[in-house]
Amino acid sequence: MDPEASQTARESLELTFHMSNILETGLDRHTVSVLIALCDLGLNPEALAAVVKELRREPFSSFPMPETPSSAS
Amino acid sequence: MEEEHRVTDLIKELVLRLLSQNPQNPSSSIDTQKSLRYAIRILSSLMTPSIAPDSAAIAESIKRQLATQGKSSQALAFADLYTKFASKNGPGSIENKWAVLYLLKVISEDRKNQKSRSDSRVSSGFSASVGLPALFDAESGGYSGVSRNRETLEKGWNNGVLLVSKDPENIREIAVREFANLVKEENEVSEEVLVRDVLYACQGIDGKYVKFDKSVDGYLLRDSIKVPRATRITVQKLCELGWLFRKVKGYISESMDRFPAEDVGTVGQAFCAALQDELSHYYKLLAVLEAQSMNPIPLVSEMANSGNYLSLRRLSVWFAEPMVKMRLMAVLVDKCRVLRGGAMAGAIHLHAQHGDPLVHEFMRQLLCRVCSPLFEMVRSWVLEGELEDIFAEFFVLGQPVKAESLWREGYRLHAGMLPSFISQSLAQRILRTGKSINFLRVCCEDRGWADAATEAAAAAGTTTRRGGLGYGETDALESLVIEAAKRIDKHLLDVMYKQYKFKEHCLAIKRYLLLGQGDFVQYLMDIVGPELSEPANTISSFKLAGLLESAIRSSNAQYDDRDILDRLRVKMMPHGTGDRGWDVFSLEYDARVPLNTVFTESVMARYLRIFNFLWKLRRVEHALIGAWKTMKPNCITSNSFIKLQSAVKLQLLSTLRRCQVLWDEMNHFVSNLQYYIMFEVLEVSWSNFSNEMEAAKDLDDLLAAHDKYLNSIVEKSLLGERSQNLYKTLFVLFDLILRFRSHVDRLYEGIHELQSRTMESLSPSRDKTRSRRLLNDKTAEPGAWISDGRKALTQRAGEFLRNMGQDLDAIAKEYSSLLEGFISQLPVQQHIDLKFLLFRLDFTEFYCQLHPNM
Repeated sequence: MDPEASQTARESLELTFHMSNILETGLDRHTVSVLIALCDLGLNPEALAAVVKELRREPFSSFPMPETPSSAS
Repeated sequence: MEEEHRVTDLIKELVLRLLSQNPQNPSSSIDTQKSLRYAIRILSSLMTPSIAPDSAAIAESIKRQLATQGKSSQALAFADLYTKFASKNGPGSIENKWAVLYLLKVISEDRKNQKSRSDSRVSSGFSASVGLPALFDAESGGYSGVSRNRETLEKGWNNGVLLVSKDPENIREIAVREFANLVKEENEVSEEVLVRDVLYACQGIDGKYVKFDKSVDGYLLRDSIKVPRATRITVQKLCELGWLFRKVKGYISESMDRFPAEDVGTVGQAFCAALQDELSHYYKLLAVLEAQSMNPIPLVSEMANSGNYLSLRRLSVWFAEPMVKMRLMAVLVDKCRVLRGGAMAGAIHLHAQHGDPLVHEFMRQLLCRVCSPLFEMVRSWVLEGELEDIFAEFFVLGQPVKAESLWREGYRLHAGMLPSFISQSLAQRILRTGKSINFLRVCCEDRGWADAATEAAAAAGTTTRRGGLGYGETDALESLVIEAAKRIDKHLLDVMYKQYKFKEHCLAIKRYLLLGQGDFVQYLMDIVGPELSEPANTISSFKLAGLLESAIRSSNAQYDDRDILDRLRVKMMPHGTGDRGWDVFSLEYDARVPLNTVFTESVMARYLRIFNFLWKLRRVEHALIGAWKTMKPNCITSNSFIKLQSAVKLQLLSTLRRCQVLWDEMNHFVSNLQYYIMFEVLEVSWSNFSNEMEAAKDLDDLLAAHDKYLNSIVEKSLLGERSQNLYKTLFVLFDLILRFRSHVDRLYEGIHELQSRTMESLSPSRDKTRSRRLLNDKTAEPGAWISDGRKALTQRAGEFLRNMGQDLDAIAKEYSSLLEGFISQLPVQQHIDLKFLLFRLDFTEFYCQLHPNM
């Protein structure tokens, strides 16, 4: 990556991190960067959000494994 | 493949990070594996996003969400960041920006839900706080809400109140569509058209469907148009504003039309102007509403933002305040249709006594405008004496009168036009101030009041120019009026006292008309007396005037002011036949402008009456004194007694003695009465009047004091109405005394004649020749007369004396009975205190003892 691109990337990450702070998502910089990368690769952001939510939940193992619902419209 | 690996790696990374963030669970590898598998399953299930990839829209919705949560500064910051974020293009930047934004949004919402959910986990059922945010999110998030809720439902919590069913979205849409169809069916006319029509109606214009119905006297939707009843009623309620508007506008245009015919006064015009101002505010509001009514009203199914559209319900909210104001104006218009001027201002003022601050403020502004012409009129009246009142709206009415009645009748208060915020005493003061200025200007020809007026204005803090005062400043007005009144009254009294010498003239009237100047009166009586004994129609007033002049010259009155003496004149009252000069003679004093405000015709008539009484009293006194001159013992009368027979002498002596006694009684009565009148009545009243003159603050006070002075004189000298009996008795007494005087004159004349005859007969040696010659001339028998002269003389004398004696007895009896009657009536008088008179007349209680029934 050329320095300009890396700069852009860095700045984008910064901006995204700030935005996420405003929205009080509680994500740290590294997580944000991973999420950005995953989004860019075309993954569904709703799914990613669901993952984040599930994995962040406190009493983790008390819930049964969910059924996978049919695909969203 | 590489990409997949990459993806897997990233996912693993994510999981690890998330788990490590979770403080409570120690990250075991089994857990990690489980989580990883779980994550992959989730990711593979939801492959396609359910929203449109529009990053701007998402950013917008995030912003709005932040704003509605009250974090407006953060919303701004977010907007800022987003702009920078969006501008980042090219290599190294994020391609799916929308995805990132959406991700952040969803994560933050989930976190909020998590937080609130953990708070409310204890409450049973679904709480509104849990429900509503979801609903809200559904609304603002728009498309995403449906799928998300579906997901959260599965976790065992009912988030949304609305969306309960498994397949909610379709049913919901169907229901909404059905509703829209129903609405379209029911309403022949769409709501927007109705709103526009209502807006027209509120300006008094008939719309397409809403027209003014004369039979009902209101704006109505035609019955033929099919609208649901609720809409019809709402339209009707809103159109009340239109009806009120029509009424107010109608009044304004009517007044404007009537104005040239001079029926509407300045106050009415001010009222119309104020109303028009209010209506212009109203028009502004209507213009804004009309602009808004151009926006289409969204149906229920559509996204209803709080945009600027106008529905009937919104209209009713907007119209709440204008309705109140318009109602007020319509009530005022009804009240004031028949009123004008000060009455209108008073009626509006009564309405302004209201507790609601909105109403109060509105009325106050209206009244400021309406009362400004009135206050202007008051100001110019009080400071300049000008009554500029073409439309008869002011509460001071003037009428053209002669200069001498200017004060008493020239101006008066018109109670109908007096507004209720000006009290009666203030109005009196206003009237008096303006009246004083006019009086000064017209009657006294004085210009100094203008300075007094400017001083007053300066003292009260306003100016003498227009527009200094307004409604609500009644205190300021009052202070201005009080200051002006104080100064102008003082100025007026100064002018009256110094320039026109009011006090001196009063004193002159007292001295001449009330016979205060004793020496002058004495001389006058002496000179004029013989003249006045003639019948009235033979007396010439010129001669009397000449006699008056000589009387003035020979007394101390000659040193008096020439101006005063000029005004003193003789007046002959209208007389009938048989009147003597005594009955018609009087003096008069010519008080010119401005003093004849005080000394009016009626006042001078009263003075005349008192003068007559006093003159009569003086005349009686004069007569008695004249009698004394003849009666006092002298050698002429005493000498004759020597030569007469003893019987005759006795008779003579007794007659004379009786005469003396009677004279003494009469003199006692008359002089005491005279002293009573002089000191108890005239002087006392005069000193009271002097004190009051010093203390008088304005001309009204002065007039009142003078009236009181005259009244007290009239009452105390028994001239009042309730003392009629006493007065009549008194006059009969006076007549009797005058008769007595003439008797005395005759008696003494007789005695003198007798005495001279006796002297002649007794002293023939003295003037023998002369008397003989006389006798010779008179009779043929000189000797015979002398011889039986003595006998005849004695006889004649005896007869004469007997007659006289009888007459005197009669007079004496009559006199004493009259006097007894008079004195007995004195204590009965309730309204005046005559005890001093009684005391003087009867201080030895002679009469009381004589007539024990008294």
